[in-house]
Amino acid sequence: MIEVLGKVDVAAIAAKKKLSSQFFRKGIIIALFSGLMYGFYSAFLTLGMKNGVWADWYGANTAALSVFVITYLLGALGSAVNDICSAIWAMIVAAVKGKFGDFLRCINSVPGRVMILAALIGGPISSTAYVVGLQMAGSIVIPITALCPAIGAILGRILFKQQLNKRMTLGIIICVAASFIIGSTSIGADAQKGAFAGICIAFIAALGWGFEGCVAGYGTSMIDPEIGITIRQATSGIANLIILLPIFGIMAGNAKLSMELAYQAFTSGSSMIWFAVSGLCAYLSYMSWYRGNSMCGVALGMACNGTYSFWGPFCCYIVLGIIFGMDGWALPPVVWFGAIMMMFGILVISMNPLDLFRKRDTEI
Amino acid sequence: MMPLNYAILKYFTKVEEACADDVINALKDTYGNFKALNKKDVITALMTAEANGLIEETRFELDNNNELKVYYHAHEEGAATINKYIKD
Repeated sequence: MIEVLGKVDVAAIAAKKKLSSQFFRKGIIIALFSGLMYGFYSAFLTLGMKNGVWADWYGANTAALSVFVITYLLGALGSAVNDICSAIWAMIVAAVKGKFGDFLRCINSVPGRVMILAALIGGPISSTAYVVGLQMAGSIVIPITALCPAIGAILGRILFKQQLNKRMTLGIIICVAASFIIGSTSIGADAQKGAFAGICIAFIAALGWGFEGCVAGYGTSMIDPEIGITIRQATSGIANLIILLPIFGIMAGNAKLSMELAYQAFTSGSSMIWFAVSGLCAYLSYMSWYRGNSMCGVALGMACNGTYSFWGPFCCYIVLGIIFGMDGWALPPVVWFGAIMMMFGILVISMNPLDLFRKRDTEI
Repeated sequence: MMPLNYAILKYFTKVEEACADDVINALKDTYGNFKALNKKDVITALMTAEANGLIEETRFELDNNNELKVYYHAHEEGAATINKYIKD
């Protein structure tokens, strides 16, 4: 009898170990997938903002848009169009999976409101800063925004009294050094005009997303990630469209301008095709980010998501440089080195890299 | 009616311990038509809640069909967090 029980116990332990291991691996794969999708989101967003009416705005500029409008308002508009497309994808998926009712129910709850707050911080503010940075400095800003796990660790220390030990501090120093290496390439004679300012603006995105990671990490421990991301993208898209764009319009001296440009953007078919693709990639990226964080812990989840510092430039190079033959997307070796260094720094902040090998040892 | 994920978490504040099958049985009257009320999704929801410190594992066993059953319960801090943010 004891022997039979022993066999059952062994089988149960083996099954439990397999379940835990599968869950952990799935979390890592989902979090890594979020980084990859972020790269494609960046590439297709940039592609969308180079076609249709955008080609005129950023090119011949027959509408005679001011430098302010081109730099800031169009950046916010690109972000708004992308997030609206992303929210539509999220709602379609939620409806297909029978979660649309829960989406509406979650909005009017405390975790739902926390998610809306995260969306406002990570959406209108950070997404616009990211798009403006991307337009001004190119894909160099992508690794800069990958600083958000580092910022998340610092904000977590300040706001939530979370751990910030020597290893994490070392990781932050590695990230800052890598950021400096990447930023230094934009100061050269052949850098895009306004590249350094673009990098500084992109840092605002990293700050907002670091904050969002802290706040949304809490929210998704209770809300289904697919519902959470629907709230996030819907809030972000609407806030960009009805708050940020009019503000930029007023600052540009024409309050109606933002709505006129938004109308032209949404009816520009040849660019909307790419915005639809970027919106889908953004949906998959953010949803996987939230899901990965909730499955394998925010620290490891954000480290895996941080691989977008590699996937961003890589996907832009593949999609824009190779597939569409656009010049200027190939990156100098030092940027690749900086991106890899930053990824390592992010990994060191989020976890002890040796634990990866220890985990493998224990699983074997 | 609260969202399914909330109901799953809330259930653990009202029972000593439960596994995925217990959750499905307890919620099927209200959420029976929800696609997400299936064993795979509920197990994922429970493991996610565990990873975020809202519930903790108490024991596990193989049932008569040789299927793994993992039991969880909401510890004091987890239950307090659930009740604080998810109202009845």
